[in-house]
Amino acid sequence: MKKLCIALGALAVMATGASAQDKLVISTWGGNWKEGVQIVGKEFTKRTGVEVEYITGGTLDRLAKAKVAKDNPEADLVNTTGQVGYLYHADGLMEKLDWSKIPNAAKLYPMAKRSDYTVSDYVYVYTPAFRTDLMPKGFKIDSWSTLWGDEVKGKLALPDFDPSHIIIAATKLAGVTPEQWDQVKPKLLELKKNIKTFYQSDATSQNLMRTGESPVQVLLNINGYHLQKLGMPVEIDVPKEGAVVGVDVWGIAKNTKHKDWAEQFLNIALEPEMLAKLCNFHKCSPMSPEAKLDPEIAKLPGIFTSQEQIEKEAIVLDDKTYATLLPQWKVWFTENMMH
Amino acid sequence: MTRRRPFFVTFLAPAVVTAVILAAAILEVLQYSVREFIPGSLDVGGFTLENFVRINRPIYWLVLLDTFYISLLTAVFSLLLSYPVAYALVRAKRDWVRSLLISLSITPLFTGEIVRTLSWMLTLGADGFVNSILRKLSIIDMPIQLMYTRFGVVVALVQFSMPVMIILLATAISHVDRDCEKAAANLGASPTAVFWRITLPLTMPGILSGVVVIFAWTMSAFSTPQLIGGGKVLMISNLAYLQGFSVLNMPFAATLSLIALVAALGSLALMKSATGRLEKRLAIH
Repeated sequence: MKKLCIALGALAVMATGASAQDKLVISTWGGNWKEGVQIVGKEFTKRTGVEVEYITGGTLDRLAKAKVAKDNPEADLVNTTGQVGYLYHADGLMEKLDWSKIPNAAKLYPMAKRSDYTVSDYVYVYTPAFRTDLMPKGFKIDSWSTLWGDEVKGKLALPDFDPSHIIIAATKLAGVTPEQWDQVKPKLLELKKNIKTFYQSDATSQNLMRTGESPVQVLLNINGYHLQKLGMPVEIDVPKEGAVVGVDVWGIAKNTKHKDWAEQFLNIALEPEMLAKLCNFHKCSPMSPEAKLDPEIAKLPGIFTSQEQIEKEAIVLDDKTYATLLPQWKVWFTENMMH
Repeated sequence: MTRRRPFFVTFLAPAVVTAVILAAAILEVLQYSVREFIPGSLDVGGFTLENFVRINRPIYWLVLLDTFYISLLTAVFSLLLSYPVAYALVRAKRDWVRSLLISLSITPLFTGEIVRTLSWMLTLGADGFVNSILRKLSIIDMPIQLMYTRFGVVVALVQFSMPVMIILLATAISHVDRDCEKAAANLGASPTAVFWRITLPLTMPGILSGVVVIFAWTMSAFSTPQLIGGGKVLMISNLAYLQGFSVLNMPFAATLSLIALVAALGSLALMKSATGRLEKRLAIH
């Protein structure tokens, strides 16, 4: 009996080991985000014959797991946000990218190469949006300063997990850099009277808009498009100061045993056709001017299709500054703007 | 000794293991609370007492006071609303009435906290049940703000706590010796006097333990204030969550958790001492 147990155990270990060795493992978010990565994954498998396995979880949960696993990474490739990507490589959890192995990276906008360790395939924006049926006729958010106006009093919802968008917008309005955000604290405190609530997730944001509980929000453009698709009278505006860009990045896990596969995957992911496919699916902005989006998606507010448009409509912060300032912003926001 | 209690050690083992794990977790929280926060990293730095100094900022005292206040309101309103239900549950003459009351009062226990909170969000929302009814009855023109208020949080917490309070009170009421009530009635006491002078004092141990349990329970409430409070009403657990999982400041989140634990234990000790004195007084009378 004992021998049988040992033999079965060894067989199980061998089977697990074999499956992990034969597959490219990708760490990404669940739901819709995973489905997007699967578009690339299927193409990768078609071309290389290598299967792809997905590990899903929240942004910070996956970072925490990667830190625990450090020398023996669970995933070969990591898909995360730009600023959290910075935390990965600052903690020595990512390989330096060899751009010669990822030739499609040369076709990207300059902002797509986030660091020596991370590269972005698409971006999205956080921008103001509102229910047209619940706001006065002619109401429009052509400047972030509109959010401070009396018409928005007690109607605004902001994310509780990331106050960066409104802080960055306030610095832009004041004509100072995000590093000088101390100067806009009084301005931010003036916004308190207009804030109705703070949402915890994309789902809560959509629900607040759907029920009309908070008819004005700073929200993820993708959520806004989703509400529009459901027939909600939601208008998404890109203020004249620009919309705050959120960047998703790819990085190769340090000490991965499948660096070659990971590089191949990245190269496929950054092909203009693949970027177009992915962004038509997510309704986001591809990081290559060669990626041709469906015309209906290309004209949506907050979708960028050229370098000029990015320069005119996007507020982009580098990942290191973002990662360093975000904790300070969150502390200040929690202590002064919430409750 | 061993012969008389042969399974004593075996039966005690799970409790000891659980206690050891719990103690280890609390010690880990304790050691985190005296470590330095490194912004932009999940690693913690060296020894510091800075986290405890930071607690002195007004916001943290405000949230702690609010946590006490909300817990106290929840305990008191749960008691006031649960007592009549528990009384009817025990004293109802017909079986079907008792069964109905048991179903109505205990069933909510089997739906999760999140489900119940979401129901309250639908009820208290600007377009929710309460506002719709009030508007249809022309009592209000504009929706009343019920969500994201302390009132909304307390309402949802009271409903959440009532099944437990009802169970505790029903147990206490069922232990009241009916002969005492009959004796009082025979001596000319009205039903109201019997209730206030006999039944209520005799159920005081259940009332006190119910208040203590609900107060302690509410002190650690998370989902309800998180969803109904929407960041405008924060309790200490929401603040610890924000610090830990949004700011990634695990040392300060640990400090807040520790303060919450000490505050809860302290208030429980105070309540226990107060209830002990009250019970003695009642026994003397």
